[in-house]
Amino acid sequence: MNIVVPVKLVPDLVEELTIDASGAALDTMWLRLIINEFDDHATEQAILLKERSGGQVTIITPNAEGVDDMLFAASARGADRLIKLVGDFENGVNNHALARTLATTIKDLQPDLVLTGVQAHNDLDGSLGPLLAEYLGMPYTGYVSGVIVNGDKAIVRKEFPGGLIAELELKLPAVLGIQAAEQPPRYVAISKVRQAMKTATLEEMDAPGLNPDGGPTIGRMFQPEAAEKAEMISGNADVVADRLIGIFKELGVL
Amino acid sequence: MIERINFWEIPEIWHYFAYVVLPLCGLVMLGRFYGRIRLWWQVGRPERRWDKPLVRLWRLIKFGIVQVKVLSKTYPGLVHVAIAWGFFVFFFGTALATIDADFIKFLRGPIYLIFKLMLDTLTIAALAGIILAAYRRFIQKPSRLTLDRGFTLSLTLVFVIVFTGLLTESLRLAAIAQEPTLQPGWSAALAWWTPAGWVTAQLWLALKLTPAVINSIHLWIWVTHATLVGVLFIALPTTTLVHMFTALMNVFFSKLDRPVGQLAPIAENEKKEPVYVSTLRDLTWKQLLDGDTCTECGRCQEACPAYAAGTSLNPKQLILSIRDALHRDGPTLAKGNGKSLPLVGETIKDGVLWSCTTCGACVRECPVLIEHVDAIVDMRRHLVIEGRVDDILQGALANLGRYGNSFGQSERMRARWTQPIQPKIKDARREPVEYLWFVGDYASYSATLSDVTQKTADVFQKASLDFGILYDGERNAGNDVRRVGEEGLFEMLAEKNMAALDKCTYKTIVTTDPHSYNTLKNEYPANNGHAVLHYSELLDQMITSGKLKFTKKLSYKVTYHDPCYLGRYNGVYDAPRRVIEATGCTLIEMPRCRDKAFCCGAGGGRIWMEEAEVKERPSETRIHEAIKLDGVQAFVVACPKDVTMYRDAVKTTGNEERIVVKDLIELVHEALG
Repeated sequence: MNIVVPVKLVPDLVEELTIDASGAALDTMWLRLIINEFDDHATEQAILLKERSGGQVTIITPNAEGVDDMLFAASARGADRLIKLVGDFENGVNNHALARTLATTIKDLQPDLVLTGVQAHNDLDGSLGPLLAEYLGMPYTGYVSGVIVNGDKAIVRKEFPGGLIAELELKLPAVLGIQAAEQPPRYVAISKVRQAMKTATLEEMDAPGLNPDGGPTIGRMFQPEAAEKAEMISGNADVVADRLIGIFKELGVL
Repeated sequence: MIERINFWEIPEIWHYFAYVVLPLCGLVMLGRFYGRIRLWWQVGRPERRWDKPLVRLWRLIKFGIVQVKVLSKTYPGLVHVAIAWGFFVFFFGTALATIDADFIKFLRGPIYLIFKLMLDTLTIAALAGIILAAYRRFIQKPSRLTLDRGFTLSLTLVFVIVFTGLLTESLRLAAIAQEPTLQPGWSAALAWWTPAGWVTAQLWLALKLTPAVINSIHLWIWVTHATLVGVLFIALPTTTLVHMFTALMNVFFSKLDRPVGQLAPIAENEKKEPVYVSTLRDLTWKQLLDGDTCTECGRCQEACPAYAAGTSLNPKQLILSIRDALHRDGPTLAKGNGKSLPLVGETIKDGVLWSCTTCGACVRECPVLIEHVDAIVDMRRHLVIEGRVDDILQGALANLGRYGNSFGQSERMRARWTQPIQPKIKDARREPVEYLWFVGDYASYSATLSDVTQKTADVFQKASLDFGILYDGERNAGNDVRRVGEEGLFEMLAEKNMAALDKCTYKTIVTTDPHSYNTLKNEYPANNGHAVLHYSELLDQMITSGKLKFTKKLSYKVTYHDPCYLGRYNGVYDAPRRVIEATGCTLIEMPRCRDKAFCCGAGGGRIWMEEAEVKERPSETRIHEAIKLDGVQAFVVACPKDVTMYRDAVKTTGNEERIVVKDLIELVHEALG
């Protein structure tokens, strides 16, 4: 079975986020990137499937600072193929553009299963999975927390609010948005990662032209702003009511 | 002149027993012993333990013959030494008698009398020892001892051999007393050179037995004695007495290549691949010898904080598990056709290994120098490489790998505690300093400790110390990362710290944390001749040199807790005590102090792990120990983790009104006025 896991790095919230001079994006100067937590689960789920029923796991990711370390860690965990997409990712791309370019590359890989993280905290234009499914022409299920592959079908577990769990059957190939792997992502010892650095190869592939159409344009990005000071009205009911009527009149509501 | 008579009144046929049968028994013993010990190198990995023979010989004398560690517990120590020395002297005496009988006649006159006195004294000592040992085993029954039939059998056998030896001698003396011509030169006055024999002989004489009856009893007791010696020879390799050999070997081959605070890197096999210990085959021959050496005295068990807390770890059982696995699977493995069964996870469960705080009390207590902690870390390395770590530990390790601290905070926040300090602390990466202060994770990041850390800086500044820190260039030193078994992460952290240190100009490293202290001092490669000091040592030096002058005399009654990695691992016991006394405080020691100090439970990475099911946390046990002391107001520590651990323990035991946990620096700060 051929499993492809598109992974993206997202800003690490350990560092304070600052807005750049344009006022519409994060300042990348102080940004530190970390693997999207859900993509980490998707990777783990892919490795678990491979361990259970064989196959090949390919990790594919847009180039960014620190991406090599992430790929080597995935290799140490059991991924077979590591692909780094090289293109104009420096100023960030939206998920529409990312999905289009990923779809082009993934099509050639002819996957049976594409596992993505169900969401990322910097998804501004919807999550990646459904977009990718659309461009690949494959079915999609999100919020998945367990996968069983049976021939050309997959049975997936999906959680609903209120503690309901559904098992859905999909025809492969398909795209799944993973909420949680069947077991938490395993610990990978540093010596294994270091070994992978020596032995694993990173394949670089050109990302075809990035097309962000369909995503929103960011007008302004800002830290939460404190609201103006509230006025506390004290006194008995009559006094409070009088003051309220006064305020409404001042504001021209009455 | 009186002289030794060989085979006194023993018919010649029995001489063959002594010269043929007993040596054959000896050969059987050696053969059976070989059959047991060959498993060490046929199953275990090679390890070099042959270097420095003179140092090893000294250890053999100190720990194997004089038995200084056995003697550290008075009653069982004296009992053991009495029996063991009995054995040594009887062995030595038999050798001398053989030389006298078959080579050079020299046991005559005064030499003979001294020879007899020596043997006789040790007979009394050994018999007394055996009786006291039986009292301990059958009446006192301390919980740490294994009360097993094997030990009873050995003790009985030894008793009967020594006792029949005494009876033989007494019967000979009784016969000679009746008919002095039987031993030329004998007189009743000389009989007191063999006091035990002579007193016992009075019993025979009182019975008024005829010489013929005495002779006949003498012969059959002698035969019993000699036969039992033969039985002992044959049985020895599979009885508990085998420790006579294995213990001597174990102390001879004990660890010499590194200080106690230094772990060995992961070993490699012939193919240069790392060896992670998961089966018997992955242990070294010395680690298998450790198993065969254990005498089941249980001193490690008694000292172990994990055992006391009720976790699944019992250091004695851990070592015995290795021994039992070796004797169960070793013979098949040695033939080369047996599959290596999992040791870790099956015989030794993961939880057992994770319970260890690496406090080193077991290693310190072991009379035969078994190396428990090294074996535990070796097996933990296997668990880490397999990813078998609990969630909290996994999070901590991931944080350490990514941010260089277990708190999961940015390295840019590492020096946030310095913000209110004026003048600004020097950045050792930018300007030369005399002392480079390696602050450590807990002192840097823990919000509850920033007050203590700031006071440390204040004391240094008041003493006009030329010091600086690495700011965001510092990483966790890796002491506990290494003891968790994450060797790769330890190497990475050490490399980063070494790279930062290499760029600085400084004379001495000073640490707050004893854990950082241990690894920087003992495990960092080539410190370039830089001394590493714990702040307690630096304070002590500054007080002695007059650099630090106190204006206020404190009058607290305090007790002091020795951190494992400062005390047991590095022998720093006196410096912190001198500092406490210099502040004017009265120091009252807890029963378990200095090398016997009881661990807080946080070491070896335990502070990053899920708490096991425990009867009582080690830190709480320790607080109970401290509040029993008369009028002690403060529990003084010299380790940031201890401040955290014990402040919690004081709260959870409800002793907030009775005792307060203070870092050493808080006393110093207060005494500076």
